[in-house]
Amino acid sequence: MTPFYFGSGARRLFGIYEPAAVAGTGTRLAVICQPWGAEYVFAHRTLRLLAIRLAAAGFHTLRFDYFGTGDSAGDMTDADLPGWEADTEQAMEELREIAGASRIALIGMRLGATIAARVAARRPRDVDALVLWDPIISGTDFLPGVAAAATGAEQTIVVHGFPLTARMQCDVRAIELGPLLAAPTTRSLLAITERRPLHASLPEVPAGPGEGSLAIEFITDVCPWIWFDPTENVGAVPVGVIQRIVRWLE
Amino acid sequence: MSRKISEQAVLMGSRNALVGILARAAVEPAGRPAIVILNTGIIHRVGYHRMSVSMSRALATAGYSVLRFDFSGIGDSDPRDDGLPPLESSMADIRDALDWLERDHLASRVILIGLCSGADHAVLYGHTDARVVGLVLMDPSIPTTARHYLHYIALRLMEVRSWFRVLTGRSRLIRMSMRLALYIVRLEWKSRPKPAANLASRQTIEQYYRNSVDRGIAMLAVFTQESTRQTYREQMLDALPNVPFGDRLQLEFFPGSDHTFSIEADRAKLTRLILEWVGGLSQAA
Repeated sequence: MTPFYFGSGARRLFGIYEPAAVAGTGTRLAVICQPWGAEYVFAHRTLRLLAIRLAAAGFHTLRFDYFGTGDSAGDMTDADLPGWEADTEQAMEELREIAGASRIALIGMRLGATIAARVAARRPRDVDALVLWDPIISGTDFLPGVAAAATGAEQTIVVHGFPLTARMQCDVRAIELGPLLAAPTTRSLLAITERRPLHASLPEVPAGPGEGSLAIEFITDVCPWIWFDPTENVGAVPVGVIQRIVRWLE
Repeated sequence: MSRKISEQAVLMGSRNALVGILARAAVEPAGRPAIVILNTGIIHRVGYHRMSVSMSRALATAGYSVLRFDFSGIGDSDPRDDGLPPLESSMADIRDALDWLERDHLASRVILIGLCSGADHAVLYGHTDARVVGLVLMDPSIPTTARHYLHYIALRLMEVRSWFRVLTGRSRLIRMSMRLALYIVRLEWKSRPKPAANLASRQTIEQYYRNSVDRGIAMLAVFTQESTRQTYREQMLDALPNVPFGDRLQLEFFPGSDHTFSIEADRAKLTRLILEWVGGLSQAA
């Protein structure tokens, strides 16, 4: 494990690189896109374990913090979604330089999954597998819940202690993942631990020659909502979901 | 991060298994203590609401070296391989971090900052290491007092939702009233020749604070009203009457703040307070 900073001076990003623990049939890379806000805090333990399991399965793995989050430079008030997508691409380049391969698996949770899906759609030649763990599929579906938890009447709202600027609210409100899921450009897994009504309209896309695919799996775990744990602070990890993701990528 | 400071990812400890971030000013005045921010519970070194990051950067901008790191088995740090129980493990980790700061950055004086369990770890460790000159304690564990229970009950009685919870059987009010009654019973028990067993922890806490005072460690203790552990400013003094804090303790109370300082204005106020206190400590040294 190597913690390090990468990226430009003004936009330095913090990442943790886990080298592949076993030699496989060719170098495999994985970049993990984290969720936002309190979800990021409470999912940290789970995504670290996911990175360790991926490394054990033969993936060189990079977790990183977007600009204005975690240990990366900047403040949340200066962040926006296109910038975080660019950060993800920067992380992919960084991992390529470290590990020396070109094709990458992108794995994202919640808002991180949404970011991963958008980047994968833009760069189908670079991403050979995509895992979306309970992604935010619709910004308008996500924001009412966010707004209910928000404090402050200004343009910037504060959600569980994290500021969400007007610009970021705009970015999130515009999220509409449905068309990307309906026409995947790479082999994709949609891993859902909490069923929502909008999941009913998502069609699976079977694999075809030269095209992407989408498998949808509803996974039951003893602790599905690990990313939102403000009171218990017990650090439960959904091992079943992690095992399924690693197995699917293998 | 600001142009005035730099941040460096570091690995510490005998196995290089402790992960931390060292924030430093480009120009650092000589003789200043280094600052170490400890984990809160199992939340990794970034802290609730990224509080440890913003605090690190504010202190580094003011000219201090600030280390935030993860205890073994928390955040990005691997568990230890020596089989130490959790508390001893955390104590050993703090020592490893201070050893690294002293060896690599010539930091012979250190201030420990912690919230909740982080504050408890700071109190437990501080008096055992001569390098520790100051403690910033946010909502540390302190014994309850009769006034604490009375405050709690009075505050909740004034809330409409509390009455709703009483009516629906989900109230903490009844539980706290029971605890007050138990507390009074225990006070009666205390007057007996043999002290009650639960006072052992109170005596232990008192001993740690007394050791800290004896060692000349300065302390800034900040309590939040919403944490439910303490409900009034002087509770620490009432709970630990045998500790001669004197001018070694600055006591602050944040009415309306919650335990994790989730309101940005509270975090800003806390950071200003810490900057001022640390500045005073540096000047006094």
